[in-house]
Amino acid sequence: MDLAVDLQGITKRFGAFTANSGIDLAVRRGEIHAIIGENGAGKTTLMNILFGLLQPDEGRIALNGKAMVIDSPAVAIAEGLGMVHQHFKLVPSLTVADNIFLGMEIRRNGLIDRAAQIERTRVLSQKFGLRVDPSERVAGLSVGIEQRIEILKVLARDARTIILDEPTAVLTPQESRDLFATLRSFVDDGMTVIFISHHLEEVMEVSDTVTVLRDGKVVATRPKTSLSKRELVRLMVGRDVSFDRRPRGPVDGKAALEIADLWARDDRRLPMLKSASLTVRSGEILGIAGVAGNGQTELAEVLSGLRPPSHGSVRLHGQEVLGLAPAQIRARGLAHVPGDRMVRGVDRNASLSANMLMGRQDKAPFSHRGILSWATAHAEMRALIKRFDIRARGPKDPARSLSGGNIQKVVLAREFTAGGDVLLIDQPTRGVDIGAQEAIHDEIMRQRDQGRAILLISTQLDELAALADRILVMFDGRIMGEVDGEAMDEEAIGLMMAGVDPATPVDPSTGIDPIGAAAAPAFPRPPASEEVR
Amino acid sequence: MEVLGSLFNVALLVATIRTTTPILLVALGGSFTTKAGIFNIGLEGQMLIAAFFAVIGSIYTGSSVGGLVIGVAAALVFALVYAVLVVSFRANEVVVGLALNILAGGMTISLMKAIFGTRGSIVGRGIVGLPKVQVPGARDLLGFNAAQLISGYTPLVYVAFLAVPAMLLIYGRTRLGLYIRVVGEKPEAAEALGISIARVRYTASLLCGLMAGLAGAHMSLGYITMFTENMSAGRGFMAVAILIFSAGDPLKVLAGCLLFGFADALSLRLQTFGFPSYLVLAVPYAVALVALFALSWRARPKTIRETLETMRRALSVSPERESSSTRS
Repeated sequence: MDLAVDLQGITKRFGAFTANSGIDLAVRRGEIHAIIGENGAGKTTLMNILFGLLQPDEGRIALNGKAMVIDSPAVAIAEGLGMVHQHFKLVPSLTVADNIFLGMEIRRNGLIDRAAQIERTRVLSQKFGLRVDPSERVAGLSVGIEQRIEILKVLARDARTIILDEPTAVLTPQESRDLFATLRSFVDDGMTVIFISHHLEEVMEVSDTVTVLRDGKVVATRPKTSLSKRELVRLMVGRDVSFDRRPRGPVDGKAALEIADLWARDDRRLPMLKSASLTVRSGEILGIAGVAGNGQTELAEVLSGLRPPSHGSVRLHGQEVLGLAPAQIRARGLAHVPGDRMVRGVDRNASLSANMLMGRQDKAPFSHRGILSWATAHAEMRALIKRFDIRARGPKDPARSLSGGNIQKVVLAREFTAGGDVLLIDQPTRGVDIGAQEAIHDEIMRQRDQGRAILLISTQLDELAALADRILVMFDGRIMGEVDGEAMDEEAIGLMMAGVDPATPVDPSTGIDPIGAAAAPAFPRPPASEEVR
Repeated sequence: MEVLGSLFNVALLVATIRTTTPILLVALGGSFTTKAGIFNIGLEGQMLIAAFFAVIGSIYTGSSVGGLVIGVAAALVFALVYAVLVVSFRANEVVVGLALNILAGGMTISLMKAIFGTRGSIVGRGIVGLPKVQVPGARDLLGFNAAQLISGYTPLVYVAFLAVPAMLLIYGRTRLGLYIRVVGEKPEAAEALGISIARVRYTASLLCGLMAGLAGAHMSLGYITMFTENMSAGRGFMAVAILIFSAGDPLKVLAGCLLFGFADALSLRLQTFGFPSYLVLAVPYAVALVALFALSWRARPKTIRETLETMRRALSVSPERESSSTRS
């Protein structure tokens, strides 16, 4: 058999943790081979070993039928391997051509020959149908184009086998579709593509063969045609998982959180939240769906006071809170479970009790005349560990010693007991294993039953389908439309996520031309002249 | 008016060029490390140690070139130690830089005591200064006054000013310059392409040492042939300040150094006019502060404004509505 990549018995340990255990992987030339598994299943470790960024503790590697030791990326590149990393490694201040030829500059008389590099880039770009402007600076290009540049970088190094690590995580559905078409054309040219993902849909859409990893081991390698989505989930998770809709009573609370015509800019100073209006009632879960990077982060940050808004209105129980400091907003009843738990959720080096104390360190019973009572804090944390089923030895454990799912539970425990009756929950189960996901969903439903108003932001549609009473879809900073959670129409949501306006615009009062809004690019290029610096 | 006339003349420009040279050399050296992503506050120490060893070298070899080489070598040793600690052992760059600065200050004093048995300064004792370069034909072509501007400097003055275009070429068109920029701006990109970050940073550090060494040698063997305790007098730190505000861009470095050099030259001139010396000596630092403040004032983050212009583009409304909304 003609194998582009042949891994046998690869094992890699990090201390006591085994990331890869006895992995066999055979990738035939000319196929798209997907490697799928949950976070922490060992996909990225395996690819880093293949690309020479990590050394295996055991096992053999053969490329194109030759046994090799890949001790640096240079060796892998020389053997025709190319890697498109999940996080792009482009230099913003350099041009597209400079980035592509970085490390293999074309030189004349000892000086870099820019004209030749630009010409070669143009030729490559035409040959593979990946449109770029070679002399443009990378800073400010959209992620879709950045990914094209990364692929061209790999092609310029004559790669015949291309590894893509989670390539669609940051792409819009249209960009993903373009990417898949490009990958298909590569394979038609006799190249080989290894595709790492944890998204079932795209794996089913694009791959020829699927290898499933779980807990660092290969669970199955099968042709896609013999697999169903259901089977794939069972292989990935190890048991049948049903994310059925949670039973619930009707919503009859009063409006607790009202947002009207809210605008904000992202870090590049581009409008990223555009005229968002919504209302969440007590005892209701309002879901926000959308591809990551379409304004959800900005929405959560503005609501919690972490990002200055441009204008608009946010009312908590009828009281305007826009522009207040995060602590003041919290004091008025908002609890915030941030999207990135390691950045804004916990202090990873602090104990669980200290993490729990954050925000209530000056309140009774934890503080008595300005002196902290650690005994009270530890007792409270012990109670929370029990109540939220947090897998930790005790309240004095540093947060970093817990798994992602358990850290998330610590954040949820703190926020749900903070006394706020409006909960802003951003990506509650990102990177959390399935068992913990169910527990977190249970807890969110319990909060709903207690009459809390919940704004749930998630990129995972099945999560919203299970939990939300209503679902709003965001695209390019705008709320595209609303779907009833009870009879969720995935097709309609998918279209709105891609920027196609539903038949009836959700809020005609804003006077926005729906066609124009839909035509606006998801990642607008910064304007050349008026960019505010 | 008479005072102003005698203050601002060709001699002041010549003095500016002379006083700019050491700080320009050391700041351009620091440009390499700044661009490579190292915050190098060890410039002062490298300059001082080079100034001292340039004098020693000049005495022992009896030649100014010998002095220059030995001075530069001493700065390179310091730069190497700095690179080993900061790049290989990942020590904190500020702590290491400060430590080396203090070491340079103390070491020159103790060595002076040990070798010459004196404190304060080394004067005479057979120190050979750098020769002055007369540009042939300059006087005939340009006349006395203009010729002064380009002729009669020590070689390092020419090196310093020619280094500016040379460095523009290095950053813009050579592989080394490109790698230095990439390592400073996006190290993970360099790493992914098999460019050794450590090697590039070592190279940048040593290039910095070379330039700082030239700066030091210029101080002690240039216009005055002597070494005094702490004779770098904060120029290395001034260079660091210039580097922070220029982000290592050679042209901006040149502009900053010229400003400081001009203020320095002006204060020297003012002293001869009988102004109180403590005020006069503060001039360069005051000028530098004002300039830095002006720069940072301009670069301060502007409040976020949702202008009609950007909103319209985001909404991509039709041109008719565009023009009407501008008026309203």
